[in-house]
Amino acid sequence: MTNLDLYSSQNPDGGWPFRSRISCTEPTVLAALALAVSGGPKERYLRAIEWLRSVQRSDGGWPPMAGVAQSTWVTSLVLLLPSEHLGERQYRRGVDWLLGLQGEETSFYFRLRQRLQGRSTPREEMHSGWPFFPGTAAWVSPTATAILALRKNRHVAAAPRRIAEGQLFLLDRMCADGGWNHGSVRPLGIESESYPETTGLALLALQGLPPEQLRLSREAALRHFKTCHSAEASAWLRLALEAHGVPVPATSDMRTRDTRDTALRVLSETASGRRMLLL
Amino acid sequence: MMPQLSRRDFIAGGALSLAASSLLSPHRAPAPAAHPAVSIVRQPAYTQDLYDAVRRSIALHNLNVRGRRVVLKPNLVEFDPARAINTHPMLVHAALEAFRALGAAGVSIAEGPGHRRATLDMAEAAGYFATIPDFEDIFTDLNLDEVSLVGLSNPHSTLNSLYLPHTALSCDLLVSMPKLKTHHWAGATVSMKNLFGVVPGGVYGWPKNILHWAGIPECVADLSAAFPHTFALVDGVIGMEGNGPIQGTAKQVGVIVAGPDLAAVDATCCRIMGIDPQRVQYLTLARSASDLKESAIPQRGEAICDVQTSFALLPQFESLRLMV
Repeated sequence: MTNLDLYSSQNPDGGWPFRSRISCTEPTVLAALALAVSGGPKERYLRAIEWLRSVQRSDGGWPPMAGVAQSTWVTSLVLLLPSEHLGERQYRRGVDWLLGLQGEETSFYFRLRQRLQGRSTPREEMHSGWPFFPGTAAWVSPTATAILALRKNRHVAAAPRRIAEGQLFLLDRMCADGGWNHGSVRPLGIESESYPETTGLALLALQGLPPEQLRLSREAALRHFKTCHSAEASAWLRLALEAHGVPVPATSDMRTRDTRDTALRVLSETASGRRMLLL
Repeated sequence: MMPQLSRRDFIAGGALSLAASSLLSPHRAPAPAAHPAVSIVRQPAYTQDLYDAVRRSIALHNLNVRGRRVVLKPNLVEFDPARAINTHPMLVHAALEAFRALGAAGVSIAEGPGHRRATLDMAEAAGYFATIPDFEDIFTDLNLDEVSLVGLSNPHSTLNSLYLPHTALSCDLLVSMPKLKTHHWAGATVSMKNLFGVVPGGVYGWPKNILHWAGIPECVADLSAAFPHTFALVDGVIGMEGNGPIQGTAKQVGVIVAGPDLAAVDATCCRIMGIDPQRVQYLTLARSASDLKESAIPQRGEAICDVQTSFALLPQFESLRLMV
């Protein structure tokens, strides 16, 4: 999919699909951001914003696609858009929804139940992150994405504490090779391998920590960058490595499969795209 | 709020163009009145004669798919084609050709991996593009498919409903094509557990953690009941033992196991692996102990005892070991 295809694949309702048909929140946000940083047609951007405003749920969060009656982690992605474009009130309701969400394993009732059963809290469950779906455990991708969203909202009272907690969560979920997988480091005591895409996303969310603390992670990210097979992984790794001052080639010839891939490539390969995600 | 649909509602509501609603059995699948057979066909390697072995496997069940829409659901987990993690692409291609030759109106391939998001990239790395012509045109990423909320009646798990993808809901026959593997949470993963791949990551995430919170064995049984029109075609040419489904070791078995009753197929697969199916929790939820007895499942092709090979099990699953 080329950048031009990205513009033309917008649905009549203003949203974007991943590959075809139904508009989904994730590709719509990423395509809108890509349009904004690449000087795409403003009218298309505004239609995307309108679609996003129309599918926000009454609890303040966003569903992954129209027709799903549940706010999920994609709310973090929507909050990467400028608040003034979404509308300050609607945007703030999204921030509040995100701040109210945490992995079920660190909830008060789950911890109480664990304690009553005489179980101690494992190290990787000490700090709270974000789940993909409410009522389930926290994982690396939604936690990293939530941190990126809350960085734009540091002025909100609870945001700095949740960012710090989320970063500790990510550090606890680091694999032995310095990278990250979905968030299962040692199932049954056996070390798991990291994935390229989650390594990029997590390292990006840890921008600002002391460089020495992330030396192994930068090495893992660079290793993944040289061998990864997907445009998505390549984009997140590029963003992360550049954020941590590691030079990488300016462009990628990795094949993009869908709207999300193409938009991520635009965002990772333009200076304004990087600024948009790293603020 | 979107109304909940049963699979029957979904299809009767027009999502299926073919008049298939009369084929539907009740949502909660009971053990079939007459026990359908399970077949075992020898196939020692991923070589050209595998195509014939798959045709023979399907033929043993007199499956009528003429005019029907068939969806093949392999188990695609990781990029690495060398380790025995994914269903081998040659088996999927052989099934595609076999169902087309039987007159199916359409045969497509669909999967929704549980951990990795770049499904097409993973399929390419795993050899699917190279093996299956026009793969991208006939493949649906179930993680990103359109969904409907489907009610689960009398569920074993704590879930009352699940969003499920239209591609899986609207087909006439869902063919579960797992790799024969041990599983570090469930004991064994075969055709029933393979249906976790139909749960959309685009809604529930990567991993599909809602299934873990609701109970893994219970969700395996619930998902199996939600798709009553299924057929299993198990890649047992090379399986995985030990710490499966990802970190285990390749195990040469040399069989293709097939049948229309997923629980019966999985029970037979467990016996081939040296696992007692009556101790695998999701099987005991799906079927009564008597239905899981070896004598209750008609076998075609090879006998279990002739292909049985004991799989290494993690210590916590040694209690599942089949006593002979």
